[in-house]
Amino acid sequence: MNILLECKKMKKTGFYPAFIAGAILASCLPVINMAVRSELFTGLQQSPLRILLDENWTMMAMLNVLLIISGACIMYHTEYADNAAQKMQTLPIRESGIFFAKFILMIGMSIVVLATEAITFLFCSLHWFHTYDGLYTDLLKNFGYFFILLLPVVLLSLAISSAYSNMWISLGIGVVCVFAATMIASTNHFVLQIFPFALPLQVLTEATDKTVSQFLTASVLELLVIGIAELSFLRIRRALV
Amino acid sequence: MNFLSLIGVEFKKIHRSKILLILLAATVVLWILAILNADLNFKMQTEGIGISPENNFLIQGFLGMTWFMYPASMVVSTVLLTQTERGNKGILKMLALPINTLKLCLAKFTILLALGATQILMMTGMYFISAAIATQTQHYHFMLSPLFVLKEAGLVYLSSIPMLAFFWMTAVCIQTPIFSMGIGLASIVPSVLIINTKAWFSYPMSYPFYVITSEYGKLASNLSAGDIKLVPWIPVAIAFTCLCLTISCLFFGQNERR
Repeated sequence: MNILLECKKMKKTGFYPAFIAGAILASCLPVINMAVRSELFTGLQQSPLRILLDENWTMMAMLNVLLIISGACIMYHTEYADNAAQKMQTLPIRESGIFFAKFILMIGMSIVVLATEAITFLFCSLHWFHTYDGLYTDLLKNFGYFFILLLPVVLLSLAISSAYSNMWISLGIGVVCVFAATMIASTNHFVLQIFPFALPLQVLTEATDKTVSQFLTASVLELLVIGIAELSFLRIRRALV
Repeated sequence: MNFLSLIGVEFKKIHRSKILLILLAATVVLWILAILNADLNFKMQTEGIGISPENNFLIQGFLGMTWFMYPASMVVSTVLLTQTERGNKGILKMLALPINTLKLCLAKFTILLALGATQILMMTGMYFISAAIATQTQHYHFMLSPLFVLKEAGLVYLSSIPMLAFFWMTAVCIQTPIFSMGIGLASIVPSVLIINTKAWFSYPMSYPFYVITSEYGKLASNLSAGDIKLVPWIPVAIAFTCLCLTISCLFFGQNERR
């Protein structure tokens, strides 16, 4: 019920077209890269998926994260513009309920985005490379990994947007975080790499089983921590304001 | 109202927006990571790129800034400039006053230019501070001559004006905030690919990044990066800026007036 309501709220904000356009834009990257410089990649020894991910994933992940941040900004912008949030507070609805309904909607949209990108990768590997056993399981494993590592970003960017009524502050914080993440990606400190906004830049194909499980645990822990922090933040704000 | 007092009014409007804090936070993040990675600068000299550590320290920082941080902060600033007045219909009240819309639009663009200049200045200031800190931690003299650093910063700023005009145009013409934000942010990401092509001058979002990359090529003895050829670039840049500003002036306030 709540989720349907959130879907309706987003209808006229351009939220859905933006996500679809973002997914298509990110998917264009590997296709253009392969179309323009295919001879550079087809000669490489690694598996097709790995070549494609190595070449394109950093940028695509960045586009995904930027998309999620602006989506989160819009979700709460519609609540704060014209004081809709205040009116919601007078209704017998929990603020945390609204927050998690938004979270679930956002997860749905990120699945759409990731699925589009997965299909593009499948198309690229079938079109420019030969097919091989285990391509589909590889693809599913990789995108499952990306999905789990994307969740903390979704939760955190929603939490940031829920905290500030001015959109540029939440967008600004998001942008600074993405920037920090791109800088962190070039270092090799595990402690820095589990920064939520840096997580989606991780690629499964290069990692050992140990690091994969470390990143997955980090992601789940971050989800718990951010979730609890947001719940208490909403309660405290409600009590104070 | 003359133009100067309009600019004064616009400055007052963003007085409490905390935008300067965000701009500052971005530069602080950049240089803190640069200080933490200061030891990597020595590797670049020996690994065959042939750039001295102190030059590398400056260039890597500036690359990080021009590639993503500075353009993205400017997108945030355009969101600020358009959204502050949408709340409580402030822009409608402004448009009801006997003020030339064209002047109002250009005054807001001037604020954007000023915010850009502020961030570049903060960035340069933070460079001197972090170079001093890195000098202490690495026991190596990282400080470059202020004149050189200021010249680079000035070049970055000048080359970013067409980009700012483009961001301002998208912010004015596209009323749905998610699209104006999204187009701005998404247009930054491909500049990495575009600076490697010959047609880089046709993509204003890559100008600042290109300027620094070509400076990198000059400072590093074993790295060839594209030179800056002024002939197609400057006319294209000027034409692009004029076009964007004209379009934004034409569209400014149109939606509210309907």
